[in-house]
Amino acid sequence: MELSRLVWRNLARRKLRTSLTVASLVVAFFLLCTLRSLVTTLQAGADSASASRLIVQSAVSLFVDLPQSYQTKIAGVEGVERMSKWQWFGGYYQETENRFAQFAVDPEETLAIYPEMQIVEGSAEAFYANRRGILIGEGLVDQYGWKLGQRVPILGELFPHPDGPEAAWEFEVAAIYRPTQRNFDSKMMLFHWDYLEESVKASSGEAPGVGTYVLKLAQGVDPTAVMARVDALFENGPQRVQATSESEFQKQFVTMFGNVPFFVSTIGGGVLIAILLAVVNTMLMAGREQTHDIGILKALGFTDGDVVQVLAQQSLLICVLGGVIGLSLAKLAEPGIAEAVGSVFGGYHVEQSTMLFGAALAVGLGVFAGFAPAWRAARLQTVDALSSKE
Amino acid sequence: MKLVPLTYNLRSLLVRRGPTILTILGIAATVATVAGVLALQQGFASLYAETGRADLAVVLRPGATAEGVSAFSREGAARIVKGTPEFAEGPDGQPLASMECFLAVRRFRVDGGETNVPLRGVQPATFALRGDEVRISEGRNLVPGADEVIVGRAITDRIRECGLGDVLTINVTPFNVVGIFECDGPFSSEIWGDFDRMLSALERFGPNRVIARLRPDADVDALDKRLRASPETAAAVQTERAYLSGQTEFLSKLLIRLGSFLGIVMGIAAVFTATNAMLSAIAARTYEIGILSATGFRPFAIFLSFLFEALLLGLVGGVVGALLVLPLNGLETGTTNFETFTEVAFGFRITPTVLQTAIVFSLALGVLGGTLPAWRAARLKPTEALRRQ
Repeated sequence: MELSRLVWRNLARRKLRTSLTVASLVVAFFLLCTLRSLVTTLQAGADSASASRLIVQSAVSLFVDLPQSYQTKIAGVEGVERMSKWQWFGGYYQETENRFAQFAVDPEETLAIYPEMQIVEGSAEAFYANRRGILIGEGLVDQYGWKLGQRVPILGELFPHPDGPEAAWEFEVAAIYRPTQRNFDSKMMLFHWDYLEESVKASSGEAPGVGTYVLKLAQGVDPTAVMARVDALFENGPQRVQATSESEFQKQFVTMFGNVPFFVSTIGGGVLIAILLAVVNTMLMAGREQTHDIGILKALGFTDGDVVQVLAQQSLLICVLGGVIGLSLAKLAEPGIAEAVGSVFGGYHVEQSTMLFGAALAVGLGVFAGFAPAWRAARLQTVDALSSKE
Repeated sequence: MKLVPLTYNLRSLLVRRGPTILTILGIAATVATVAGVLALQQGFASLYAETGRADLAVVLRPGATAEGVSAFSREGAARIVKGTPEFAEGPDGQPLASMECFLAVRRFRVDGGETNVPLRGVQPATFALRGDEVRISEGRNLVPGADEVIVGRAITDRIRECGLGDVLTINVTPFNVVGIFECDGPFSSEIWGDFDRMLSALERFGPNRVIARLRPDADVDALDKRLRASPETAAAVQTERAYLSGQTEFLSKLLIRLGSFLGIVMGIAAVFTATNAMLSAIAARTYEIGILSATGFRPFAIFLSFLFEALLLGLVGGVVGALLVLPLNGLETGTTNFETFTEVAFGFRITPTVLQTAIVFSLALGVLGGTLPAWRAARLKPTEALRRQ
């Protein structure tokens, strides 16, 4: 009881130092938590995948389209229940910074394949009926403030408008979806394949290729068998395909980052070392200043264990306080950071495991930093400690 | 005004060895982290910017920001190659211009995982244009019209099927790897094959871009303006240097932003730590400060003395931090350049800019961390300071 008061008193004795130490810990924990969240966000992309969906893409390149003639062949494969064409539109809204995912799809098939999209405004029927209608995620509503029925002009980079590259494609918001799963992209814009095809044909005379075919498998079908059957269809060309599970498909974008997750973790290591040194330094200073007090405690008959506790608890308190504030800040800053890094780290999110990791780190750091001065204090002879001037 | 001798600070730092070393290492870790990120950015930016040539023209479809999204019909490209007087001529009287096709193809890394490797179909003129820039270091060059490829040095060990003698299958066509080439620029992460063979293997019909050597007196802007307005084949022209530096913007900006963000945030923590260390140093030396002022040193001299001590801590920390990142120099790594969506291999580069930034940064940390404690020391009254034990 008296000991814990002593801990508080000691911390309060050097208010400036205690607050500076806590402040640098706050900064460090904020940074560590944010960096780790960037890594987990990168790796979490594959989590929203469903096992009953397959993606068929070109085996040659991410940027090669498949012929539309493949559709009937793939549809005939045993085990395929529904399928939709998908094409990445690659446009932007007003400014080039405003890029987000736009896809041309077969509307009815796509909504049947993705039950994760729950329509909260407008209706599926309105989307089906309107040739220029789009289905957008709530994330886009939050970002650009689009409303139901609003006209949305999108400038196409990959698919210039038939009237010329400066003309925008006109779309109309027909329905808004809310993802029922956390990792499902809430910033997609889906529009009618027919609208794309008609416009592309008008300008170039050729039908657009298909980026990917998304398949929904019938219940109880073995996905690996279907993949093998689809791959075998086009084994000898003209364009080889690669059928993958949805999670494999999403992972390919994660591996593109190469060593980036490793770098981010290394930076985190640098932060950790810097902060470790700082806290140990502070605690050693505190320990040295309290040498005289330690002598008094020992002379009064307190055990070495008590003395160790006084110092170790100070360290622990500082670290836990800094950790809690830093982690809370990282959590509070989540929406802001998500917005700032959204273009690269889509769906930025601080995971529970990161918070736990941070908390464990705070405790570990506190124990470690308290160890050196506490050990020194325990070894001190009472007489030497009392005669210390500091 | 009489200044406090600098040896006083040096000795004080030496006497309090433990805290001094810990403070220096703390600053060093901060400086090293920031310098490491900056070194990465420098390596990446120099890979593109320093290798792009000003005497080469890159011709793309208007509106295309990268060659991957640019496309020409074969006839259109041939018209540009033949009909542009600004292009220089080779010894054979033919224009020094080449059609190239480009595609980022799926490949597997040796250590697992898929990535996108740039595949370029080139005409013989490409080698004439580049001259010494592209050197075959192992094996031989590809023969025009044959199913052969040469692979850049930077990826030969990173990507599967890219070693000399391997067979690399593109769609359904097998190509023999007959040579390894060296190149200082981003090309060393590419696979090169014959233009026509690549087009047929990829089931494509036209090139992505045209490159050409410019005549020394050519006006690129005027050429760009004229070709953009061309009714048959509209095209945009820029120098290779301008084109390549545009390719790095996104990742370069991202790395600089990351570096500055880390610098500010970690810097704040480091300043706090330095302040703590100096405060503690001053608290332990209150008596000495009393003697200093009693023997006639002005408060400002005492302020300067302690500020110098903090500056010294920062500087040594900065030097140690810079030394810590030096071994990174040249270390190769790879990531995707999101401008082109392809894998690029590049190294950390500890340039003078990196070292300069590290030192300035560490001095700033010292000054910011030392000001408050030094001011406090200067304000101590001699009588009070002397009385304190």
